[in-house]
Amino acid sequence: MLRATRLARSARGFATVVDGASGVKVAALDNGQPTASVTVLLKAGSRYEQKPGVAHVLSNFAFKSTGKRSALGTVREAELYGGVLSSTLSREHLALTAEFLRGDEAFFVDVLASFIASAKFTRHELAEYVLPTSLAEAQAAKHTPSTRALELAHALAFRNGLGHSLFADKHVAESITAEDVRALQSQAVGDLSSVAVLGTGISSDSLSSLFDKSFAAYKSSSAGPSVAAPAAPASAYHGGSTRVSFFHGQAVFIGFGTTSAAQLPALHALSAHLSPTPAVKWSTGTAPLSTVIPTGVTARTVLLPYSDATLFGILIEGADASKVGEAAKKAVEVLKTAADGKVASEEVKRAVARARFSVAGAVEAREGLLGVFGPKVLAGDRVSVQSTLEAVEAVDAKALSKIAADLLKSKPTYVALGDVNTLPYGDEIGLSA
Amino acid sequence: MLFGPLGPSLAPYVRSSRSLTKWLTPFANWYANLSGYRKMGLRYDDLLVEERPDVQRALTRLTPSESYDRAFRFKRASQYSVLHKELPKPEWTKPEEDVRYLRPHVLDVEKEDQERRTWDTIEVTAKK
Repeated sequence: MLRATRLARSARGFATVVDGASGVKVAALDNGQPTASVTVLLKAGSRYEQKPGVAHVLSNFAFKSTGKRSALGTVREAELYGGVLSSTLSREHLALTAEFLRGDEAFFVDVLASFIASAKFTRHELAEYVLPTSLAEAQAAKHTPSTRALELAHALAFRNGLGHSLFADKHVAESITAEDVRALQSQAVGDLSSVAVLGTGISSDSLSSLFDKSFAAYKSSSAGPSVAAPAAPASAYHGGSTRVSFFHGQAVFIGFGTTSAAQLPALHALSAHLSPTPAVKWSTGTAPLSTVIPTGVTARTVLLPYSDATLFGILIEGADASKVGEAAKKAVEVLKTAADGKVASEEVKRAVARARFSVAGAVEAREGLLGVFGPKVLAGDRVSVQSTLEAVEAVDAKALSKIAADLLKSKPTYVALGDVNTLPYGDEIGLSA
Repeated sequence: MLFGPLGPSLAPYVRSSRSLTKWLTPFANWYANLSGYRKMGLRYDDLLVEERPDVQRALTRLTPSESYDRAFRFKRASQYSVLHKELPKPEWTKPEEDVRYLRPHVLDVEKEDQERRTWDTIEVTAKK
């Protein structure tokens, strides 16, 4: 009987946005999977931080002691339920996620609500647990060529706001206090309409009522002064080039940025056109870039859409600096070919199909669903990828060559990371600046 | 509490009764002055037994200025102990300066250890 009702409910399978009584935006999707998850999305990414690194520290402060339970209590109780708690930081949002078996919603929603309403941010937890974790993550990121290259690219492309580093390294972490972290959190949750609660495997009505019930229990204790909704200045694209000496691999990032959302569908298609990732395992594929890059070098396209800007680029990594440089040159050549409109019509069709598959496939997994739908829920847009799919489908050869030409005309973001004596300069590989 | 870092204490019971507090406060003050640590510029929490893991952990939770002041008081007291002297009277710890700066942290650590023991030995039963 229960199974039948579950099936009937899952057949709807469409996320609906409900404004909860507390003001949060609630959206949920039930596909009938055996586990459920609830994610609280806060505007507390590195873009909104007042002091460098605070967002990273806040993300590690998630699930530490609150007014209701201690950090140890949270972890042990979650373990008894068999759930997984995690926090994910992006440049715009901090996502706190609980994944659990169906039926344990009440506990996990309460854990998330208590972090929003009554997190303690104690000084000793910062020193004993949070800072060591943050520093270890920052250290690991610092030694990963791809992460480091993208950090540098963001700083060049957007300078402030989106250009802030995601990681709190040793130098900035020293000056971060528990009060700074509390300030960022209260700024993010001060206005609850900028908080989104997303669920999978749960209906939006029950999620909304559960969250409101848990949240109301804390409300009286946390009647602080109302804080303005987190706001960040609008992003502007700057671009530029940098060369950084690095001893853990070679990486080159050739990137372009835009603040126009209208270019996004064409960028999806261009990204799919350039992406050398083969569709069939153990093959090189027939994409224009995959056939020309030397062996021992890996390349991938990076398309990072933010709420008011997009960073697109090709990230090339390898152990040999000269080969990486050669691959970078080829990548720009391929991009120029696309700009000249010399892309065969079947290649355009293939690129559009691949782009549509990746857009649609992104919302299959939990993380992708969150990354795609979370910002839409917060912005109050329609929670669906249908419009994106249609827009990508409308991209033709003309639009593809136009976007490539537009990008090449704009100022590129060029990052060379590794052996700076061997890696080429931007103008040497054919970039305009 | 008997074997805790703070030792046995009747203070909560005394404080719960107004008349007992009124009667015993002068004796308590007399005793605190008599024990002599204030004349060496120390505070009561400086005398806590610190050779225990829980108090060591509590000590790491002091603010930098609190731990600096604590170290300063110890150095000054050791110096005057070597000289077999008391501090000059204006430098004695005044009763209002004799605050329990370490006690809250010790209690926190104690509570955490207690909670860990509880979770370690908890018996889980399935929900009906």
